[in-house]
Amino acid sequence: MSAEDIRKPPKIAATEQMKQLITNYYIEAKTTKEKPICWITSGGPVEFLIAMGVIPVYPENHGAMCGASKIAVGLAEVAESMGFSQDLCSYARLDIGGAATQNGAIPGGLPKPDFLLCCNNICGTVTKWYEELSRFWDVPMFLFDTPFIHKSKPGHATEYVKQQCLELIEFLQKQTGKKWSDDRFAEVAMLSVEGVDLWKEVLKTAESRPSPFTCFDAFIHMAPIVTLRGTQEVVDYYKLLRDEMQERVANGVGAVADEKYRLIWDNIPIWYEMRNLGNLFAGNHACLVADTYTTAWAVDIKIEDPLTSMADAYTKVYLNISIDLMLDQLLALIERYSADGLVMHSNRSCKPYSLGQYDLARAVTERTGKPALIIEADMTDSRAFSEAQTRERVDAFIESL
Amino acid sequence: MSGEALDRLMKMRDDPYAAARAWKERTGGKVMGYFCCYAPEEMIHAAGALPVRITGENRDISKSGAHLQNYCCSLARTGLDMALDGTLSFLDGTVFVHTCDTMQRLSDIWRLNAGFAVHADLVLPVRFETSSAWDYMTSELASFAEGLEKELGPMEDSALVESIKLFNRNRALLAKLYQMRLASPGILPYDQALWCSTSSALMDKAEHTALLEEIITDLQAGTATTDGSGVPLFGIGSVMDQWDFLAMVAESGATFIDDDFCNGRRYFDFEVPEDVPPVEGIARRLWGRSSCPCKHVPSRDRGACLADRATAAGAKGAIFFQFKFCEPHAFDYPHVKKALDKAGIPSLNLEFEQGSVSIGQLRTRVGALVETIKA
Ligand code: SF4
Ligand code: SF4
Repeated sequence: MSAEDIRKPPKIAATEQMKQLITNYYIEAKTTKEKPICWITSGGPVEFLIAMGVIPVYPENHGAMCGASKIAVGLAEVAESMGFSQDLCSYARLDIGGAATQNGAIPGGLPKPDFLLCCNNICGTVTKWYEELSRFWDVPMFLFDTPFIHKSKPGHATEYVKQQCLELIEFLQKQTGKKWSDDRFAEVAMLSVEGVDLWKEVLKTAESRPSPFTCFDAFIHMAPIVTLRGTQEVVDYYKLLRDEMQERVANGVGAVADEKYRLIWDNIPIWYEMRNLGNLFAGNHACLVADTYTTAWAVDIKIEDPLTSMADAYTKVYLNISIDLMLDQLLALIERYSADGLVMHSNRSCKPYSLGQYDLARAVTERTGKPALIIEADMTDSRAFSEAQTRERVDAFIESL
Repeated sequence: MSGEALDRLMKMRDDPYAAARAWKERTGGKVMGYFCCYAPEEMIHAAGALPVRITGENRDISKSGAHLQNYCCSLARTGLDMALDGTLSFLDGTVFVHTCDTMQRLSDIWRLNAGFAVHADLVLPVRFETSSAWDYMTSELASFAEGLEKELGPMEDSALVESIKLFNRNRALLAKLYQMRLASPGILPYDQALWCSTSSALMDKAEHTALLEEIITDLQAGTATTDGSGVPLFGIGSVMDQWDFLAMVAESGATFIDDDFCNGRRYFDFEVPEDVPPVEGIARRLWGRSSCPCKHVPSRDRGACLADRATAAGAKGAIFFQFKFCEPHAFDYPHVKKALDKAGIPSLNLEFEQGSVSIGQLRTRVGALVETIKA
């Protein structure tokens, strides 16, 4: 066997099904005549849309696709020429540019929204971004406002979010002209829980040594849980993926040949560099076994009281809590996945994810004695990335392990 | 003419926190810093403490670079630097209001590193409409007040009512000052008018109010200091603390006639209604005052509002003066600019970072705007 073969990670067979699932979804979204389209933020309560027969469209998911296919910069430049600063979140920039030119990673760009659902549990950026979309497309926007948690969540915050669930139902009834059904919602919530549980089982297989997949795989395979949770297709798909991963574990198949180091990734992927980065780590026998990004969709919903538990779950997501609470989760991940270190992407686009990383990195090292590496980049805007410098830093970091 | 009261106030600009330090020494009271002007100052005041606004300053970063990336706005970076190097050691605590993603994270970093005894977060809603947001806001304000009481001491309702009266009086005087300038801009250079408002958040309110009364009386009695024929401009941004820049604008033959800065008009705009319970009154003011881009108020189009205000003030041009890396303002810019264009108001977009403002470069651009307007 040549060195090249050793480094080559085995292919995940389920990838084909996932591609099909996502392709079908975009085809339906582009061609539907009767179903309304709602653009929604990645942390948004999509279950409400699914229950009302609305097709959710995720500009962030599309942004990731544009980043991976290296067309993000061109689209972002369109927004910049419209007056949007180059310092703004690049998902927002490329999306605004894509909307203005009807362009993107899918032919003709994303389908036009009938209305917008913006949940600010990931950032305040989306509020401003969706305000612009609302003006651009001239469609109504619902802001689902989830108060940030610094220490603990007060009762009035839970109540506020719960009330907004009811307001959202009103909004959707008005926009779609359809009646809300509690039963249908319970069904969707159940499927959502099932999908999320399966996704958690997939992530759990990475606890074993060697890990059957890397977080670079997880970034790709998380698309269905983000976009279509609450549907049967997603449940079926993650069963398939879970079985494949469990089989790998049973047979001792690792994603990285001769896995020596196990690392945790923090922040959104560097989409345009994913393949190179993956190879760089794998070539060093380092496996990124888990990350703070894909676990963000592992929210808990209690079937007995879906509204309250959803209000709770959607408020408590990783980006909506203070750095002390984030630290607890990071430490838990390191422990659970027996990680040897932490790799943080300091993402120029994303302030809620990135500001605080310097403190988190120090705290992790202080508490666990494990090193942390910080890579300065941007998730889709490759103009903010230096490949040579990153390579050097990764090599030095692995050396230090 | 200038007058003694104005002189006293203007001297403070060289050392903005001298008054707070002196107050602390004199009274032995507690000083509470805050960044965002949505902070309910009246509550801090009613609990016996001095609220003081922190807005960063022009400086080279030495310590905060270990905590904040360089793609974070300079307000947060220089502010944290001041906390870490002891410049703000006169503070007993800090209040953080939910504003933007940066402030939200700064609150955590500050709490973990700055070492002040008291730390309070006020997580206001982002949505400033609907009854559920209103209920949440009033509950959050009430529980914030309770938290403050635990840290600072009792806040009697009657004391809160008195504080509200005092703060409203101060607001009314600042509004009057701006109004007088609108009628005859020559009576007071804009940078001094803006400092009258800015300094109100930096010293004892009663003392500031007394100075304002005197300043206004002096201005009413006096004659114009400048000829007031400068091209009238409207200023848009968050904090405006670049006094050299304002001097340059004046030299370029222009003057700001009104503004939307949050240490300017937005600081004193809208009074707390006094005919409702105090906490509700405070909530009503925050809810109703002209909004910051961090708040979502779909019924109020910020572009149209600003264009209307600029037009009403008789502005012939506008300058956006924005912190580099400030997302909320940068997102609004294209829309607000369009609204100004529609109203026939040409504008200029300037980005800056505290500590690295190059007046020379900006002079050319401001000069070009003034020429366009004059042509
Ligand atoms: S990348 Fe960060 S700032 Fe941009 S939309 Fe996502 S969470 Fe918000
Ligand atoms: S200047 Fe902008 S980014 Fe900085 S704290 Fe203020 S609103 Fe936030």
